[in-house]
Amino acid sequence: MDKKTCWIVIFLSLAVNVVMLQWTVEAYFGLEYERVYLFTSIACLSVLAALAAFFRWRNLEYKEKK
Amino acid sequence: MDNKKKLARNKYETNDDMINLIDNLNRDDDVKYNRRAFLKTAVGASVTLGLATLPFSIKAMMNTAGEDDKRIAIAKLSEISKGQSLNFNYPTDEDPAILVHTKDGKFVAYNNKCTHLQCPVFYEKEQDVLLCPCHKGYFDVKSGHPLAGPPQRELPRIELEIVDDTIYAVGRKVRHG
Repeated sequence: MDKKTCWIVIFLSLAVNVVMLQWTVEAYFGLEYERVYLFTSIACLSVLAALAAFFRWRNLEYKEKK
Repeated sequence: MDNKKKLARNKYETNDDMINLIDNLNRDDDVKYNRRAFLKTAVGASVTLGLATLPFSIKAMMNTAGEDDKRIAIAKLSEISKGQSLNFNYPTDEDPAILVHTKDGKFVAYNNKCTHLQCPVFYEKEQDVLLCPCHKGYFDVKSGHPLAGPPQRELPRIELEIVDDTIYAVGRKVRHG
């Protein structure tokens, strides 16, 4: 994964998490708990993807300087 | 000027204090470090937003104990004439609700906490709508769906059953239609 892909993954993850938070709140107040769990799972996966992309980017970015 | 041609004390990354004072004016570094900080902030925001969904799931797990489908008597038919409403609580004492005898002669009931900011919703006989006076939110009395104003979600509908002369609440649907 190159640096550009890392940027794309991180910003996609940010967009997904904004939407997931909104949908989770809606589902929670609608007492649709199955959907709450689903959206939380997607958000957590998205967080993991963002962190993986970030660590990969950090590796590439700081290796260049050395 | 090229870095190599500069005097030693003026060279980039020199230890000279007076040069270090203006280190942050180096445009290339400035752009590079801002870009890094920007990406780190984006990652932080994404992680924060993602993890902010977790408390809702935890709260949902704690709330799953069956609460609906209780059967309680609300009122006698004779107590509520056409165009009138009556407040009661369903399914728990913390959930205020409103029973409406509409102009058409039908009985409908909803939890009457406005889905915008939880203000109480009242029946407006003249317009035949449910009105939240806090921010002028209007709900359709027949379906409980928002008609105008800030509310986006429908009011939870309480299912009714009429046996003999008594109106019973027998269940609740939070999302409907």
